[in-house]
Amino acid sequence: MKPFFKKFVQYYLKLLTKFVLWRHNPFIIAVAGTTNKTVVKEYILKFLREKYGENEVRGNPRSYNTEIGLPLAILFLDSGESSFWKWWRVLIQAKLKALFSRKFPSKLVLELGVEEKGDMKYLLDIVRPTWTVVTNIEGNFSDARSNLEDLFEEMKLLAQKLPKNGKFILNFDDERVKKLAEFSKAETISYGFSEEAEARVTNLKTTVQGQTFDFSFRNQNESVEIKKYGRHNVYAWMIAKIVKETI
Amino acid sequence: MDNSQKINLSPIKDMELRASRIPGVVSLAQGVPSFDTPETIKRAAIEAIEKGRVAKYSLAPGLLELREVITQKLELENKYYDFEEEVIVTAGSIEAITATMLAILSPGDEVLIPDPTYTSYQPAIKVAGGVPVFVPLNEQNHWSFDIVELEKRITPKTKALLFCNPNNPTGTIFTRDQLHAVAQLAIKHDFYILSDEVYKDFVFEDNGGSTSTGRSNLQRLYSLAEMRGIRDRLIYIFSFSKAYAMTGWRIAYLATHHDLAKKILGVHDALVTCAPVVSQYAALAALEMADEELAKYHAIYKDRRDLICQRLDKLGNIFEYQKPDSAYFVFPRIKDEVLKKMACVGDSKRFAIELLEKAKVATVPGAAFGPVGENHIRMCFGRSEEDINLAFDRMEKFFTK
Repeated sequence: MKPFFKKFVQYYLKLLTKFVLWRHNPFIIAVAGTTNKTVVKEYILKFLREKYGENEVRGNPRSYNTEIGLPLAILFLDSGESSFWKWWRVLIQAKLKALFSRKFPSKLVLELGVEEKGDMKYLLDIVRPTWTVVTNIEGNFSDARSNLEDLFEEMKLLAQKLPKNGKFILNFDDERVKKLAEFSKAETISYGFSEEAEARVTNLKTTVQGQTFDFSFRNQNESVEIKKYGRHNVYAWMIAKIVKETI
Repeated sequence: MDNSQKINLSPIKDMELRASRIPGVVSLAQGVPSFDTPETIKRAAIEAIEKGRVAKYSLAPGLLELREVITQKLELENKYYDFEEEVIVTAGSIEAITATMLAILSPGDEVLIPDPTYTSYQPAIKVAGGVPVFVPLNEQNHWSFDIVELEKRITPKTKALLFCNPNNPTGTIFTRDQLHAVAQLAIKHDFYILSDEVYKDFVFEDNGGSTSTGRSNLQRLYSLAEMRGIRDRLIYIFSFSKAYAMTGWRIAYLATHHDLAKKILGVHDALVTCAPVVSQYAALAALEMADEELAKYHAIYKDRRDLICQRLDKLGNIFEYQKPDSAYFVFPRIKDEVLKKMACVGDSKRFAIELLEKAKVATVPGAAFGPVGENHIRMCFGRSEEDINLAFDRMEKFFTK
C-alpha cells in the first residue's frame, strides 16, 4: 500500500470503528504484552464462549492487532493485503457494517500490538478497554534495555487509562509488568508462579501428553491438565480462568 | 587431515558451475524455485530495515514473535511445541542440521540416511565427526524404506536417522505406516530422528495426512512431529527457502524437546550467534501474510509436475521413473542400453556431463545422492515451464540423433 493511501485507510477505518463501538458499546477486554497475546486471547475466547455462547464473544481474527489490524478485527473484516482494489472493497464493507449491521457481540477480546512509542496512544484512541491483561514485557534483542523501557511507558499509558471499575490482570512473574500496578486506579489481579500472585500455579509438570499443574485463586483449588507444552500455555489458561471466574 | 578437507563441493553446485561455463544451457539441476520472493515478504523486510530493527543481534533462538507465530502455525498441523524453549530459528535448514549433528554426535557415531537422499546431508554429518550410513530405499515400491534393511544397519554406534520427507531427489513421500515403523525402531534402539520437511507444503497426492491446516484445499503431509511419544528424540526441521521462494534469505527453524533444544542452541550460538535478523522479519511476514502465494506456488508446481511427467513419458525409451507426489524433483532411471551407448552403466556423472555438453541441459547425476541413486539423474521442475519444455525439446532432439 502506498503511504498516502495507507494513511487514508487508517484514518477511515479508525473513524468507522469508533462509530461502531459507540453504537454497540461492547464490554472490551484487552490483551497486551510482548508475546503470548494470541494464545491468551484464544483461551479467554474459549472460556467465555463456554459461559456466554459462541455469538456473544468475538476476538481478533488471526493477529490483527495494530493500527489497521485492530479496526479490521472490530469490524470483523479481512485485510486487503497488497491489493489496492481489495482495500476499496474493505472500505465499502466497513462503511456498510458500521452503519447498518445490527448484530454485534456484547464482549470483545482484543489484542493490542505495540511495537514502538506512540502505538498505544493511537490504539487507545480507538478502543477503551474495561479490563486489561498484560502478559509480559520482553525484548527481542540481546541488548534490548532501552526498547523495553519504551514498551514499559506504552503499557503505563494503558494502565493509566483503565477505568476505576475496571480490572488490571498482571503477570507478577515479570518485574516490569508487576510495577504497572502502581499506575492504575483499576483493581489489580495478579497471576503467575510467584508466591505473591493472587492467582497462582504450583506443581507444574511436563508429561508426554502436555502439562499438569495445581491452580489456586480466591479459595478455589484445582488440578489441571492441558495438552500443550510451555509455560506460556499455562499462563494463558490461568488468565482465561481468572476472567471467566470474575467477569 | 581436518574434517573440512574431506568435504568436497556438492555435486549439485559442481554441475551448476559447469553449466555456468557453457552459454545457453537450460538448467534443471539446482532445486531453486523460479519465482522471486513474494512482494508482501519483501515489503516487510524493507520496513524492518527502515525502522532500524535489523541492525542488532536478535536473541540466539530468534525473534520472540517469529517463534510464537511458528508454534501457532505448527499447532494447525497438530505439532505442539513451546516457542520459548523448543524452537530455534536458524540460518537455513542445513545450519539446523549441522548444529544438531554437532550437538548430538561424538566422533565415529553413525547417522543413518536414506539412499538416495539430499547431497548435503553427508557433509553435515562429517563436519560433526559422524559417519553417514546409507539405508537403501526400494525404488519399485515408490522409493519406500525397507524396514528390515534399515534395522540391519543399526549398530551400537547409531545415533540418529536423518531424512527428508518429501524426499529429495525422488519427490516421493514416506507413508504414515513407514514413519511409525521408523519411530518404533528409534525407540527400540534409542536414536534420534531428524525429519527435514522443507517440501511439506508441496504435496500433490493423498498421503494419509489430514487437511486441518487452515488451508484445507492443500493436502497435508503426515509428520512424525505429530507423535507426542517421540518428541524427546525427534528434531523437526522446516525451511522458508522453497515454500516462499526465499533460498537466498537463509532462514529456517527447528523444533524439538526443550532438553535437546538447549544443547543445540549452544552450538547454534557458537556457529552463527543468531539467524540473519532481516530474514527473520521476512520469515514472520511469510507465515502471517503469504498463504495465498503458497497456494499459488502449489498449483503451479503441480502443473509443472504433470508437464515434466508428460515429457518424460515421451522419452520412455530413455528413462523410466516413479511419479513424484510432492516437492519439485523427479528422479528417472536411465535405461541400461542408453547408458551403455553414452557412457557406461554405473556412470550417471558421465551421462549428465554428456547431456550438459551436447544437449545443453543441466541435470544432477544420481550418484550424487547415494549409491542407489547411480544410473539415475535428478531433474528439478521448480524451474519455469519454458525451461522445462526447452530442456525436453533439446533432449528429444539429442536422443533421436
